[in-house]
Amino acid sequence: MNMSINWKRLMDELAQVWTVAVKDIRVYYLQPPMIMFGLALPFFLFFSFSIKRNIGAESGIAQLLAMTTFFMASSAGPVVIPLERRMGTYDRLLAAPMSLASLLIAQTLVGAFFALVTSVVPLLVGVLCLHVAIADTPLLFAGLLLASLAFSTFGLVFGSIPVQSVGSIMMPSTLIRWPLLFISGIFIPLGDMAPWARVLSYLSPLTYAQDVIKTAVSGAGYLNRWLDLGLLLVLLIVFLIPAARLHHRSRVLGY
Amino acid sequence: MRYAIEVHDLTKYYGDHLAVDHISFDVRQGEIYGFLGPNGAGKSTTQRMLTTLLEPTSGQILIHEHDLARDAYPAKRIMGLVPEESNIYTELTAWDNLIFTAQLYRVPVNQRTARASELLETFGLWENRAVKVENYSKGMRRRLSIAMAIIHQPSLLFLDEPVPGLDAQSARAIREMIRQLNADGTTVFLTTHDIEEANQLCNRVAILNHGKIAAIDTPERLKATFRRVQSVEVALDPEGQMQKDALGALSGVTQLIKAGDKWRLYTEDPSSLVPQIVHYAEENNLRVLHLNTLGPSLEDVFLEITGQEIGSVHHENGEQKMRRGKMRGRK
Repeated sequence: MNMSINWKRLMDELAQVWTVAVKDIRVYYLQPPMIMFGLALPFFLFFSFSIKRNIGAESGIAQLLAMTTFFMASSAGPVVIPLERRMGTYDRLLAAPMSLASLLIAQTLVGAFFALVTSVVPLLVGVLCLHVAIADTPLLFAGLLLASLAFSTFGLVFGSIPVQSVGSIMMPSTLIRWPLLFISGIFIPLGDMAPWARVLSYLSPLTYAQDVIKTAVSGAGYLNRWLDLGLLLVLLIVFLIPAARLHHRSRVLGY
Repeated sequence: MRYAIEVHDLTKYYGDHLAVDHISFDVRQGEIYGFLGPNGAGKSTTQRMLTTLLEPTSGQILIHEHDLARDAYPAKRIMGLVPEESNIYTELTAWDNLIFTAQLYRVPVNQRTARASELLETFGLWENRAVKVENYSKGMRRRLSIAMAIIHQPSLLFLDEPVPGLDAQSARAIREMIRQLNADGTTVFLTTHDIEEANQLCNRVAILNHGKIAAIDTPERLKATFRRVQSVEVALDPEGQMQKDALGALSGVTQLIKAGDKWRLYTEDPSSLVPQIVHYAEENNLRVLHLNTLGPSLEDVFLEITGQEIGSVHHENGEQKMRRGKMRGRK
């Protein structure tokens, strides 16, 4: 009896994850400003970081894919949750018969989905226009998928901070995300870094994403590909813990 | 007796501030229960705890015998919530909002569209079902918000200030909807500071003041308890402010207020006050246009309990509402 109830509950939770994810996509992502932002950001990033730098097409595309995934996936959480809190619609989700885990998973999936869709743009440009040959396509998809999910839960941590204003979240999230970009090995390859800088780079989740993407695109990463994938998987789960705790804190404080 | 809500020793602190102070009450299945109190009394805080949106500092809440602290899931399935501000996705249409809510509450697939259509018809929104909610009036949003809260046919409905800010027609329609839902078997927990609304709708009311329950009873019994707030209402011709001191000085008058062109004299003994008023009018060549003895209204009871001055109850203006919103945001 209990087994059947639990099975039904699990099915309900999965359906609710889907329901919330589809709603988020419709309400927040399929809006003209978001679509324009998603299409334009990779090119802004590309021109910002490639002009007057002598980098090969493979390295350039790998860096661009990593940066696009990082910024797009981690941008969703800090915007959607405070916005919903301010509009009161988040109460609707929290009062519904679904677990917090399902709610967080739904938002993670949406952020990751948006990042994956956006990363198709630079990938197509690399393959079709710059004739970049992908060395390991399955690894590239696995790396992009795990990186998108991990960065999405990373953004969720900021979105879970008990505030109602998007502005209050954007400042700390920007202040943390940009340094993580600079220490990640995107601009200075991990192999060329001083040992202390390399140790510092291991603190950035982007390090493992850019390394595995680089391995997949050019076949020349610095770390073991399985280590990169494994750490992204661990980070994806680890980031959910503070997100859940901050949600609990919000419930205590009344946000 | 079967209870929809049982609350034992419920307490909520925001830091050092005690918002809800060890309150206990129960709501019987099938009743409309009014939760009254002045702004900042702890009404919304209590409701947010009852609907799982806020974690209590201590105490126990049972919803249809399900302990919220142990497993809120079964309780959430049978609850509907209409918050003070309509929380609707304005980028979606009314239809999409209803279907989204039906999906969220796992209404069977074969019933979703039928139920959404029925609710849109009932609430007078069918013609505008495909219009984005951002184009809806406040009254339409309120009706949609209620429709969304009942699409899963909850047995317990929480309504937070459902009427304020609406035009008279919308307010009446919503009151009628609440009565109809209750007649169909839904228990209603109505949080309000509109005393007349509670008087008209509720089987029982609880009056909350400074985080504590000050009284719980039926509106009529509460009124009967407060005999000292009976009053005599009189209109004299010609009317004038000079009557204030004389009427206020009559024996047994505890308080005097001006209500339009009438004076209301509060007293414990209206029968001895009426002859004094008539005598005063005759002596001063005044015509008595209107003379009426009034039992205590629920508003009088509320004011007595909450210690506010008679005549001070009024609807919030925009500034007060904004200030209260900021306070809640800070908590």
